[in-house]
Amino acid sequence: MTADTITKARGRRGLSETPGFNTGAVAGIVVVYLGMVGMIEAFSDRPIITDYINFGPLLILLIFYFFAYAAIGRPMNEGAVFQTGITVGVVGGLLTGVFLILVEIGESAGYQVRDVFISISPTMRDVLSFGFGPYVGTVWLTAIGALMGLLAVLTRRLQPELRAAVFSALSVLMIGALGATLFRVMLDGLSIPTRWLYRSDGLTLIGTVVILALAIGIRLYVRRQGGARMVALSLPGATDRNLPRVLIGLIAIALMALPWIVNTFVSDVLGTVGLYILLGLGLNIVVGFAGLLDLGYVAFYAVGAYVTAILTSHASYLVTDNPLRPSPDTFTNFWIAIPITVFIAVAIGLIIGAPVLRLRGDYLAIVTLGFGEIIRILVTSDWLKPYLGGPQGVTDAERVPFFGLNTRDPRILYYLILAFALFAVFISMRLKDSRVGRAWAAMREDEDIAEGMGVSVIKYKLLAFAMGAAIGCLGGAFFAAKLSVANPGSFTLLVSINVLAVVVLGGIGSIPGVVVGSLVLVGLPELLREFGEFRLHIYGAIIIAIMVLRPEGLIPDKRRAMELHAIEVHEGAGPGPLSAASAEGVQ
Amino acid sequence: MSHLLELTGVSKRFGGLQAVNEVDFHADPGEIVGVIGPNGAGKTTLFNIVTGFYTPDEGTMIFDGHNIAGLKPNALTRLGMARTFQSVRLFNAMTVLENAMVGQHSRTKSGVWGALTRTGRTVREEDRIAEKARESLAFFDDRLLPRQDSLASDLAYADRRRLEIARAMATEPKLMLLDEPAAGMNPAEKEKLIRQIGRLRDEQGYSIILIEHDMPVIKSVSDRVVALDHGIKIAEGTYQEVSSNQQVIEAYLGKAAAEQQELPS
Repeated sequence: MTADTITKARGRRGLSETPGFNTGAVAGIVVVYLGMVGMIEAFSDRPIITDYINFGPLLILLIFYFFAYAAIGRPMNEGAVFQTGITVGVVGGLLTGVFLILVEIGESAGYQVRDVFISISPTMRDVLSFGFGPYVGTVWLTAIGALMGLLAVLTRRLQPELRAAVFSALSVLMIGALGATLFRVMLDGLSIPTRWLYRSDGLTLIGTVVILALAIGIRLYVRRQGGARMVALSLPGATDRNLPRVLIGLIAIALMALPWIVNTFVSDVLGTVGLYILLGLGLNIVVGFAGLLDLGYVAFYAVGAYVTAILTSHASYLVTDNPLRPSPDTFTNFWIAIPITVFIAVAIGLIIGAPVLRLRGDYLAIVTLGFGEIIRILVTSDWLKPYLGGPQGVTDAERVPFFGLNTRDPRILYYLILAFALFAVFISMRLKDSRVGRAWAAMREDEDIAEGMGVSVIKYKLLAFAMGAAIGCLGGAFFAAKLSVANPGSFTLLVSINVLAVVVLGGIGSIPGVVVGSLVLVGLPELLREFGEFRLHIYGAIIIAIMVLRPEGLIPDKRRAMELHAIEVHEGAGPGPLSAASAEGVQ
Repeated sequence: MSHLLELTGVSKRFGGLQAVNEVDFHADPGEIVGVIGPNGAGKTTLFNIVTGFYTPDEGTMIFDGHNIAGLKPNALTRLGMARTFQSVRLFNAMTVLENAMVGQHSRTKSGVWGALTRTGRTVREEDRIAEKARESLAFFDDRLLPRQDSLASDLAYADRRRLEIARAMATEPKLMLLDEPAAGMNPAEKEKLIRQIGRLRDEQGYSIILIEHDMPVIKSVSDRVVALDHGIKIAEGTYQEVSSNQQVIEAYLGKAAAEQQELPS
C-alpha cells in the first residue's frame, strides 16, 4: 500500500518532491552513518531496560520516529499526514536495507569493505538488520520504519497535554537509563537503595514502571495545581508575595547540597562549569552587553591563572627578582592574591582595549584574536621563562586557605567557586540594569548614535573591557587554585572559542543563559564520558539541535527574544504591523 | 544679540569632492532655521560637522560661547546640542522608554560603583532619568507613551521618527538639529509635525535647525532659510526671499527650466 502511494506520488511530482521522501532519506543516512562509525554496535549491548531493550536497536527506532515526527510538523491535511509520516519511515528503512544488501553483495564479490570502514562488522550488520540478514532484514527495517512513522502520526494526534506528558515521561526514562552510573552514585550518596531500580547499567522492569508512573503522576499533579508555583507554595510559610524568595531558597539548598549527593568527580566537573560561568559572565559583558566581539578572551583567563599562581607558588625555579615574589620561599595568601590579580587583569584589559577602540565588528574580532595569541606566545617564550616558567608553567601554587578546610577537595572548592560565580551574577545583573548597562546597550545597537546621544564610546568600551577582564580573571585564579598550576597548554584559542560558544549557546547578553550554556557545553561532555569515543558525536548533535531549534540561545535575553518574536509576527500576520505602518504614511 | 551657534568659513572635503565650501552660518536662540538645497548640496555634511561627527578642514565654530571645532559628538551633546538622523536610527533592540532614557545619559552621573551598590542617590537618579524620558515621550501625546515598553523596532514608521525627536529632547538641548523630519509622512502627519516643531521652540525654548525637502514644511516653520548648492551657501533670508532667488531656482530646476518656472511651494 505504501509502495503504491509512493509510485502514485512519483507519477505526479517526482520522487524527491514526495512529502517525507527527503526526510526519510536523511533518516536512513543518519542510521547508516551511526552504523558506520560504530555507534550502533557499541551500544548494542548497552541496556536501557535490562534483558528487554538495548540502546543500539532503540537508537534506530528513535531516529525513524523523530524524523517522521519532524516531517509532519507542518500543518497539512489528514491523508497527507499519514502518507508523509509513513513515507519517512519506509524510505529510511529501505535505505538502511539497501546499504546492508550492497555491503553483502560487495563482500561476496570479494571486496573487503572492512579494510576501509572498519566498523562495518558482522555484529553491526546483525544489529542493523535485527538479526535477519540483509534481505529479510530489509523487509523488517521497512516494516519497522513504517510502524515508527505510524507511531509518530498517532502521537502527533494526541491531545497536546497528554503528548507532552508522554514525551516528558519517556525522556525521564531515557535520561534515567543513560545516566545510570551518575544517578546510582547520587542515590548511594543519599543512601537510597538502588538494587530494585538498576541492574547491570540498565533499568529493571520494576524501575521502569515506577519511573514512568512517577513522571506522569508528578506532571499531572503539577499541571492540575497550576505548575511549579503551587509546588513551591505548598511549602510551609510560603505565600504569593515571597514566592521568588522561596524558589531562590530551594535552588540555594539544592546548590549547597549538590557536592554531597554526587561524587567527587562530578563535583570536580561542577567546579570546571563554575570556572566557565565566571569566564562566560565576563565575556558576556564585553560581547553581550557592549557588543564588542572579543576572540582573545583567553588572555584574561591566562592572566588570572598566571598572576595567582606566581603569587601563591612555592616553585623554586622561578627567579628571585620576580617583582611579584620577593623570594622563592615567600608566597602570598590566595585571598590577597585575588585583588592583585584583578588589578593586573584590569590593567591588561585597558592595555588591550586601548589600541582597538576604533575598530568594529570583524576587525575588532581579528585583532583581539591576535592579542589572545600574543599572551599565549609570551607565556611560552624563553624571554619570560625565568618569570613564567616557559612550557612548564608555574607549578606548586599554594592551596586556598579557608578556615582550615582542605580546599584541594573538589567539593570544598566547589563552594568557593559557587560563591564567586554568584557574586559575578550579581555584578552582571546590577550592571545590566543601570545607566552603565543602558549606555553599553546603546553602543551595541549603534555606536555612532550612542556617541551622538552623549555616551562617550571610548570610555564605555574601555569600561567593558575592564569589567570583562576583572570577572574573567577570577576564572583563571580559581583554575590555578584548582590545579595548583598555570601552564601554557591550558590557555589556547580553543578556550576563547568555548567561552564564546557558552555565551552564544546560552543566549547572547543573557545572564541565566551563561549558566545554562556552561552546564551544557562544559558539564555535558564530562557526563557523556560513558559514551567513550562517541561522546563528541553526541555532543555535536546536541549542539546542532540546540542551534537549529533555538537560534536565539537556550535562555535568550528578554529583548532579543522579543525581537525574534516580533520578526515572526511580522512574517506571520500579513495585515498587521505592516498595514499600520502604511496607514501611518509610508509613501 | 549674540548667536547661539556661529560657523565662519567652514569647509570640508572628501578626496576630490568639496562637500562644504566656506560656509558662514548662524542660529540665534529661539530661532528656527530651515536648510534647503538639492540632493548632494552638503546639507547633511554640514549637520555632521556641526554635531561633531566630522571635523571641519577649515573654519571656526562657536556654540554657546564654546569653541567646538574638533569636539566629539558626546561632548557636544553635553553642551546642549541634539540631533535626529535622516535615516531613522534608533536603538532597535531597546524599548521605547530605554531609547529616551539613553538621551538622559549626558545629564546624569552614576557609574559602575553606583550601579553595583545601588545607593539612594543612584536610585533617585534612575527615577529622574525615567521621569525625564517619559516627559519627552509625552510630548507626542499618546503616540509614544503608551508604547513605552515595546521595542523601538516595533513602532510604526512615523512613530519611529517621533521617537528620534523624543530621544533628542531627553538630552535637554539648547539647539536641536532635525534632518528631514517629515520624510515619509502623509499630509496630515506633516501638519501635525509643523505644529510640533513650533511647540519645540515655544514650549521647550529650543533653537532648531532643520533640513527638509518638503517646501510647505520649510515655509510654515522657518524664521529664516539658508540654501546650499554644491557645498556653497547660495542664498539666505526669509522663505519668500530665498524661494524667489534666481540661483536657488536654478539649483533646483536647472538653468533652462528656471527661466520659466518658480520654486514649487
